[in-house]
Amino acid sequence: MKTTSAIRFSGLWRRRAKPFRLTPTEKISAVMLVLLSIFMLMPLVYIFNNALKPYQELFNYPPTIWVRNPSMQNFIELWAITKNSAIPMSRYIFNSVFVAVATVVLVTGVSAMCAYPISKHKFPGHRIVFGSILVTLLFAPETVAIPRYLVVSNLGVMDTYFGHLLPMVAVPVGVFLMKQFIDQLPDELLDAAKIDGAKEFTIFLKIVIPICMPAVATISIIAFQDAWGNTETSTLFMQDETMKTFPFFISTLTSNMANNVARQGAAAAAALIMFLPNLIIFLIFQSKVITTMAHSGIK
Amino acid sequence: MGCIILNHVEKRYGKDKLSAVQDFNLEIKDGEFLVMVGPSGCGKSTTLRMIAGLENISSGEIYIGDRLVNHLPSKDRDIAMVFQNYALYPNMNVYENIAFGLRMRKLPKHEIDMAVKKAARTLEIENFLERKPRQLSGGQRQRVALGRAIVRNPQVFLMDEPLSNLDAKLRVQMRTEIIKLHKQLGVTTVYVTHDQVEAMTMGNRIVVMKDGIVQQVDTPQRIYSSPKNMFVAGFMGAPPINLVEGKLLEVSRGALEFHTRKYSLAIPDSQSKKLIDKRKAGRSVMLGIRSEHVHLDPAMRETNPHSQIPGIHKLSEFMGADLYLYAEIGASQLMTVRSNIDQGSRENEKVIVTLDMRKALFFDLDTGENLLHDDDRMEG
Ligand SMILES: Nc1ncnc2c1ncn2[C@@H]1O[C@H](COP(=O)(O)OP(=O)(O)OP(=O)(O)O)[C@@H](O)[C@H]1O
Ligand SMILES: [Mg+2]
Repeated sequence: MKTTSAIRFSGLWRRRAKPFRLTPTEKISAVMLVLLSIFMLMPLVYIFNNALKPYQELFNYPPTIWVRNPSMQNFIELWAITKNSAIPMSRYIFNSVFVAVATVVLVTGVSAMCAYPISKHKFPGHRIVFGSILVTLLFAPETVAIPRYLVVSNLGVMDTYFGHLLPMVAVPVGVFLMKQFIDQLPDELLDAAKIDGAKEFTIFLKIVIPICMPAVATISIIAFQDAWGNTETSTLFMQDETMKTFPFFISTLTSNMANNVARQGAAAAAALIMFLPNLIIFLIFQSKVITTMAHSGIK
Repeated sequence: MGCIILNHVEKRYGKDKLSAVQDFNLEIKDGEFLVMVGPSGCGKSTTLRMIAGLENISSGEIYIGDRLVNHLPSKDRDIAMVFQNYALYPNMNVYENIAFGLRMRKLPKHEIDMAVKKAARTLEIENFLERKPRQLSGGQRQRVALGRAIVRNPQVFLMDEPLSNLDAKLRVQMRTEIIKLHKQLGVTTVYVTHDQVEAMTMGNRIVVMKDGIVQQVDTPQRIYSSPKNMFVAGFMGAPPINLVEGKLLEVSRGALEFHTRKYSLAIPDSQSKKLIDKRKAGRSVMLGIRSEHVHLDPAMRETNPHSQIPGIHKLSEFMGADLYLYAEIGASQLMTVRSNIDQGSRENEKVIVTLDMRKALFFDLDTGENLLHDDDRMEG
């Protein structure tokens, strides 16, 4: 679909020598899409502005979107609050960064290593394996919270980083995405590598993964967002305060502050800090993700 | 020693399925260019992939060099393969594509560099070593694929329809280049194609397959002039061989005539003798004759007075140097004549075609076997 419209567009270009003359349908859809993207952008703008609003502006009536006198006051306030906590904020941030990065690496690795044999080595029962992975998509996370707790506690990984990581590692969507992508690699490519003398793991690492970079990028984003915003593992599996993560810390702050008018500014600053890494990661991988959508038929 | 021996090789997919390849026996000599040809689904790729070690062998033995390779993984068989869709690694540039096999074999860097450069020079792809495969044309990609094969100096090249993704002109050009490459390197090559022109022009020997069964293994000349059965005769050669059904009648002692309701054709003595020996006198057979052995020339009529068929010039196809003329010689039966452009007749005019009966072939109606085929050499 992308290519046909591109061809049509280049055709337009040549015929009329004016690039932005659009057909009525194209005009309408362009307007619709612009409106939609503004709508989708609103929360983003709001988060940024709120974080920069000085205290008085936060409670202006009627509320405004744009900040008038941007200031760092909220961040300073947040800093002041966190200084009083028993555990330094840096510890939470370290936990979060470590857990998020490790989750991304593990999830992409595990998804790819799971998808590759299912897709390219039709071992007996590969359909059943893939089917059961897909079935797990049907369960809402809440329904498996208790079994998950039992597993984690019986494994004895409470209060360790494994407690954060293990529950996050299996991502059926990741396996699915990866499989769809690897399915499209011609078998001859892998045969050629085999004849060239590559071992199975070399083929996986040097050929399959590089070609599937778009899928890897997508899964990385999904995994990062899941891990970065996740408070569940901290709440359920970590009794030790030093093992808890940044979003958990923020959520305790903000929930304590919920009724506290005085701390709304700090909450806004915290919301921005929580949000920023997601945005950065997305911007870095964005172009790759779009190719995934084009490839996987999800679009 | 790059010879390949296949001994009763079989391939069955699934448990009780029909064999994709049945009882394949063949000895490929060192330095030979062997072409496997046959219609789609006849098991050419399967055979090639078994030699390459990409497919298990259900039963039988394969030797490469002097080694039994049944259980040897592909990488240890000392072979290189070229695929129809090139199968270049899209994430690597041309240089890396060619070097990959050497890197896997842990060759020192400078040796790899020298080998890659040399292969690139041979194939004239030095100028785009830095490019990614998607930035190359089909012909260039296939050259890179060839480069990847020759750089490793294997005992055997295996090629599975390497030219069928190219356009007609490029295909002819690459065909001669592959022949040149083979002359230059002298490496045993097994080449799969479904294009009989490729088979004829490239092969030292041709294997014709059908439904997983080898029909004939022979030189291009003999495959063409002395096909083992009706299938081989019909598959090889363009335009396809003319086939006419009729009866063999013994007109006098030792002399046969090919007889249909409309005409009869005298069969030369040597052929008659063989047919009588095979007890075919009085039986129905299929006569096969190639278009170049059918003539419109009046001069031929005088020398062959007893092998003429009256017909009607139905249509003609201009082929450049030749003209294919289709003469109707019976109810909806056309005979193709390869003739000169300046032959006299027009469409729907009467013509008389003269058959050069010395070149005629006779096939058994049931088995399709060529009744005149002389088994003067044994295959396998
Ligand atoms: N993986 C497979 N599982 C089951 N049957 C297969 C498999 N691969 C091939 N076959 C069957 O084996 C037979 C031979 O296939 P093969 O690919 O060797 O044909 P081919 O001669 O190469 O044809 P083409 O000219 O179309 O490439 C076919 O009937 C095919 O259906
Ligand atoms: Mg094939």
